[in-house]
Amino acid sequence: MRMTARIPTVCPYCAVGCGFYITRNGMEYMQDHPVNEGALCPKGNAALDVLNHVDRLRYPMMRIGDDWIRVSWSEALDRVAEEMQRALREKGPGALAFLGSAKCTNEENYIFQKIARLMGTNSIDNSARRCHSPTIIALRRMLGTPAMTNPVSDLALSDCIFIIGSNLAENHPVVARWILRAKDRGAAVIVADPRVTPTAWLADLHLQLNPGTDIALINGMINVILNEGLENSSFIKERTSGFEGLDLSDYTPERVSSITGLRAGDIVRAARLYAKAGASSIVYCMGITQHSCGTENVTACANLALVCGHVGRPGAGILPLRGQNNVQGACDMGALADFYPGWRSVDDSRAIDELRRLWNARALPLGRGLTADMMPEADLRFLYVMGEDIVNSHPAVSRRRERLKRGFMVVQDIFMTDTARIADLVLPAAAWAEKEGTFTSTERRVQWVSRAREAPGEARPDLWILSEVAARLGFDLSPEPEEVLAEINQAVPAYRGISRSNAGARGGIIWPCPHPDHPGTPVLHTERFSTPDGRARISPVHHPALERTSPQHPLILITGRVVLHYNAGSMSMRSEGLVKREPEIRIDVHPEDAARFGVADGDAVMIETRWGRARARAKLTPRQKRGTLFMPFHFPETNLVASEIIDEKSMMPELKVAACRIWRAD
Amino acid sequence: MGKIYLDPERCIGCRSCEVACEREHGHPRISVDKVKDLAAVPVYCHQCDTAPCAAVCYTGSLRLDGDMVVFDPDLCTLCGLCFVACPFGAIELDSVIHRCDLCGGTPVCVMTCPTEALQLEDIDAITGSTRSRAAGVLAARVRV
Repeated sequence: MRMTARIPTVCPYCAVGCGFYITRNGMEYMQDHPVNEGALCPKGNAALDVLNHVDRLRYPMMRIGDDWIRVSWSEALDRVAEEMQRALREKGPGALAFLGSAKCTNEENYIFQKIARLMGTNSIDNSARRCHSPTIIALRRMLGTPAMTNPVSDLALSDCIFIIGSNLAENHPVVARWILRAKDRGAAVIVADPRVTPTAWLADLHLQLNPGTDIALINGMINVILNEGLENSSFIKERTSGFEGLDLSDYTPERVSSITGLRAGDIVRAARLYAKAGASSIVYCMGITQHSCGTENVTACANLALVCGHVGRPGAGILPLRGQNNVQGACDMGALADFYPGWRSVDDSRAIDELRRLWNARALPLGRGLTADMMPEADLRFLYVMGEDIVNSHPAVSRRRERLKRGFMVVQDIFMTDTARIADLVLPAAAWAEKEGTFTSTERRVQWVSRAREAPGEARPDLWILSEVAARLGFDLSPEPEEVLAEINQAVPAYRGISRSNAGARGGIIWPCPHPDHPGTPVLHTERFSTPDGRARISPVHHPALERTSPQHPLILITGRVVLHYNAGSMSMRSEGLVKREPEIRIDVHPEDAARFGVADGDAVMIETRWGRARARAKLTPRQKRGTLFMPFHFPETNLVASEIIDEKSMMPELKVAACRIWRAD
Repeated sequence: MGKIYLDPERCIGCRSCEVACEREHGHPRISVDKVKDLAAVPVYCHQCDTAPCAAVCYTGSLRLDGDMVVFDPDLCTLCGLCFVACPFGAIELDSVIHRCDLCGGTPVCVMTCPTEALQLEDIDAITGSTRSRAAGVLAARVRV
């Protein structure tokens, strides 16, 4: 392999899409990257630790009883194809399921979902289900495009930034850079979060609302805006529909105050700051989406932006921060039970027919397939997991992991995750810097990543593995990322003009990119929305039933992330520099609650929700809101107690809130 | 050469500077202190003009060389006076003395800082940009 001095790459952790260089001996910062300007968070700084880690999977391995034996690639690939065909023959396509990966490239996810669909099933999902499935449903319906409307750096142009349900300072630290640039120009920053997070440190106004009361807060703000005539009437008239149905007069500041626990004056102040600013942005994340009312929460956010006309201009937009380096791309590629590539609904037979012709398929399945949470309950005979530790990331699956594996299970990953441990066959995959292809960041930025290192042992790029499996099933699917990208050009309209050349330039290219010479589209919806009639839909939502405390479970458990770890931890837990700074799970407790329940700082405690019990170490901190606890979900304990209530519209589990109790474990 | 200046209002406590410094030098020479979980302050060598660490060093192992304190490990006796003398606790002892050398001019802590809380500048540039930021914020208040 040709080795140049330094090879540009994109961080494999979160979805911000930061660039850096991989050198022969380490890394160098990339100061001319448009998103991070050289900066990296602690995880980015530790990114190379996963390459050549001693735990990397090096050979295909087959389970024999409780033991693993090394097998050849040809034996492993034959077995995958045989088992898939056997399940199909004996039980039909409903017995097959596939889990794609928000950490794999666009090309890999595209081919993976294509295999699933050519086998006759829509039971293909990826971890977007647990971060932004409500965003997909709500923003697609309201704005036409389920993605961030403006790029991250655009935040520097905002005059008011309303951050709700996002602790970006810990989870997307580089985004804070652009928010601080806006503050330097005098922008007002409002943070709505029950906890005093490092993001709240940046706020001019911190709304420490009760967990799960986001809709009341936003409706209350809209009501203030309408009462004071601060709405953007011409925008509402010319660019939206449905405004006449928006009657939120019940949401008086006083009533919203009693629901949210906020001062009425703060609700009014937030509404005025947001509405009066020349350009305002809403930034949200899983504090909005991971609720049984997640889809309604996103709808409320979009209503607020539409009523004020704060969409479609520099500095004015709706910015759902995505979680994984390619979660936007995996969804664009249709690695979802409810969407084909290019956001074609599984119920839209005409749209799917275009793909059927492109793929030369006889027929393609219609109707929503199994989402990840449904897989343990389904009568599966074959499950193919590509690059996802589902056992440690889905409470429902975590608790029923043995039921996930009713038939043959293949896991393709870079480490022996807890999901891989229950599989029958484990295939070693190349990591991000050991292969080529495109990743799409949270801001729709598509970036080509080049190979900078050799994969360990016999580990192979996921695309090569999928192509080999497909060949054994009788499908001719290319193992070359550039050839697959050329097919994506035809299958996904927003990617029509994306190539290795424009995605490989510094900073790549932001979709939609309709033809090869197009410069990309950083700001969406500037003149019309991508809905069929070009108008955005305003749609009233109201406060649904909440998880409530009871005498038995008097506290509310909030789950989330910490800056030094990443999701289920299969990568960050293998970085010494990260682990020694955050070695174990700690549960944040407000000192007054600690006194009430007899817990001291550093105590081992038990926590119980109606879903289960877990053990952790208590950390007393005034940042926690009284009456609530916080557990980071990077550690398996959190999955033992997290809620399984589902938002039926998006199939998102309500991971953010669960009534609970705590006691000292003696 | 400039020095590293901190704007504590920008620090989000992510500890990226620590992880980067540790990757570069094996042992981090900057550490982020969280104060009651309500603020974070990176603590590091400020390259003091009249450096207490160099003043107490009786062997000349730490000494001022122009703007910078330089360290000669061969002369160090590990007596520990310097890390007691440093007002920031920025010198650590771990079989050798660890102190900041500004990475030879491009400190990784500054380059990696997501929020530009750490800056390598001379003092005039720092006060100049603080002034223009303050003016920007005041102007925005006047506009509204």
